[in-house]
Amino acid sequence: MTAPAAVAQSHIRPWQARPGLMVWGALGFLAAVYLLPMLTLAGWAFRDPKGGFTLAQLVKLFAEDTYHTAFVTTFRTAAITTVACALLGYPLAYLMATTTPRARMLLTAAVMIPFWTSVLARSLAWVILLGKRGIINDWLVGSGLTAAPLPLLFNSLGVQIGMIHVLLPFMVLPIWSILMRADKALPLAARSLGASPARAFLHVVLPLSLPGLFAGCILVFMLAVGFYITPALLGGDRDITIAGLIEMVVRDLLDWPFGAMLSLALMAMVGAIFALGAVIAGADRITGMEGRE
Amino acid sequence: MSKKLLITRRQTLLGVAGSSLATVGPFFHVTPARADKGEIVIAGWGGSRTTAMREVMFKPFEAATGIRVKDDGPPEAAKVKAQADSGNVSWDILDTDIPAILTMANNKLLQEIDYTKLDGAKLAAIPKVLHHKFGLGHLIYGFNIVYNTKTFPTGKHPQSWADVWNSDKFKGGRSFPFRGGLSPQLEVALVADGVPVDKVYPLDIERAWKAHDKLRPLVTKWYANHGEALQLISKGEVDICCTIGPRGIVAKKEGAPVDVDYTGGKLAPDNWAIVKGTKNIDAVYQFLNFVIDGKVQAELAKRIPYGPSSQDAFKHLNEAEARDLNTSPENLKKQFWNDINWWGAVGADGKTNTEVQTERYAKWMVQKS
Repeated sequence: MTAPAAVAQSHIRPWQARPGLMVWGALGFLAAVYLLPMLTLAGWAFRDPKGGFTLAQLVKLFAEDTYHTAFVTTFRTAAITTVACALLGYPLAYLMATTTPRARMLLTAAVMIPFWTSVLARSLAWVILLGKRGIINDWLVGSGLTAAPLPLLFNSLGVQIGMIHVLLPFMVLPIWSILMRADKALPLAARSLGASPARAFLHVVLPLSLPGLFAGCILVFMLAVGFYITPALLGGDRDITIAGLIEMVVRDLLDWPFGAMLSLALMAMVGAIFALGAVIAGADRITGMEGRE
Repeated sequence: MSKKLLITRRQTLLGVAGSSLATVGPFFHVTPARADKGEIVIAGWGGSRTTAMREVMFKPFEAATGIRVKDDGPPEAAKVKAQADSGNVSWDILDTDIPAILTMANNKLLQEIDYTKLDGAKLAAIPKVLHHKFGLGHLIYGFNIVYNTKTFPTGKHPQSWADVWNSDKFKGGRSFPFRGGLSPQLEVALVADGVPVDKVYPLDIERAWKAHDKLRPLVTKWYANHGEALQLISKGEVDICCTIGPRGIVAKKEGAPVDVDYTGGKLAPDNWAIVKGTKNIDAVYQFLNFVIDGKVQAELAKRIPYGPSSQDAFKHLNEAEARDLNTSPENLKKQFWNDINWWGAVGADGKTNTEVQTERYAKWMVQKS
């Protein structure tokens, strides 16, 4: 016979006594599958094949100016994608936040269903739509709007369309979430004090939603910089991104140290953007932890 | 109780003895992998090719020798390097092309083929050009003019590489290979520029790149793999493609509006290569002797339209079957062999021409022109 107190005692697991222990599992997992490979990567980039430390790959990164084009292409593409996503995503998010619950459900589904589809499938779908003998060109030529098929695919336009489509939810969701949380009475108060709808939006709603817009921009930009599949499938020879360059260097040229250096350079740049965003807007806004003390 | 236990134990011992004598029985199936004649792993390209190989090569070989054949892949240099670096080599034989073999050989990932261990009569039927130090040619592919028959009906189609370069006479988008381990088509560029097919080597590199510059504005899409190329040409996204002729034949047989012109084609072999550090070297040579046989190759050619390397194969194929194969005596005349020695030659910097030109290709492509 055991005393009831003793039974209760035996049911307290170590992690119930010290909840902090639970974090170690996740941290250990991250260390094994993320930190360790990252350190290996850094090792490849800075270790001489004959042993010892070398800066040869770093020098090559700056000296090989032909490869710099890929960096310019990547950042230009990412910037255009971010601006376009903001211009398209903000009105959509605003509509989602202000419409009836039924319409909101439909709009949310319209944003989320493509979001759950694989990037590869979505990129291929664009080939079917935008191709020379694709649906859009068939319609344009068939209706006599254009004499010949428009070059919508295998160029920067195709890449931009594909990337904006894939990344739009990352812009819409943060803006929508912040608009939903904003006090609905504030724009009404502005209106009752005599502001026009445009003025109420510009001076009340927009400033309130800026953190969401900012978080969306940072998210979209960081993801766009690392894009690989969409530019490879929808792009032409002017659309080789850093990710495509890394694939080329690792798989075709077997130059793993330089591939590692390119990867580190890409990561450093993304890290710098995140840091810049964190300084301007605060890291909690980008990570979505704002207001969840 | 103890007596009963003893009997049980004795029966068990008898059982063990019995099964050991007959080399059958439950106890000896505990370690099946090494108990029989072993196993070899062949890294190939998968798909219908591996299915056909399993039917006419792997299964008959298993039946004849008791050695099991497993397939894996794709046989990329990066994967072989990863195996070698980790010290865990699980592949024995690769089925791959010369550029990949040269890169791997230069990285010390392959074992030299000992031709004295192969059947001399069977070897004699395979052109000498295909007996490479690190790979024995067995299936012949080639870079050919593959065109969309809706855009260009056969007869009015581009009939030479010069035609492919001629955008006034033949309007439409082109597609050429880039990335995915594919070398630039420098020979094709030279032939288009007027170099006769028997004078292609040694390559006039600067002339070839100048011809490549002229090609660049005509190309709609640089494809990264041949599946993509066939998709583009079949759907009419491009009108002329420089890709694998036999794959064009496959598409044509499946009803796609494409056809192949073999003129000026660059022939190249897919090869059997041996992975350095294989633990099954005897089985590897047994397998190679089995599959370089002309009759076995003919059976494979009936299922996948790649040219058999052994000219003996055509003794087992009828005229209609031979017509679609790029190594038939008739088609062989129109084409030239990719010079593996030129591509494999090592320069002063210790790099092969393949490595140097692939790197130049990457830079040429990334560079704004």
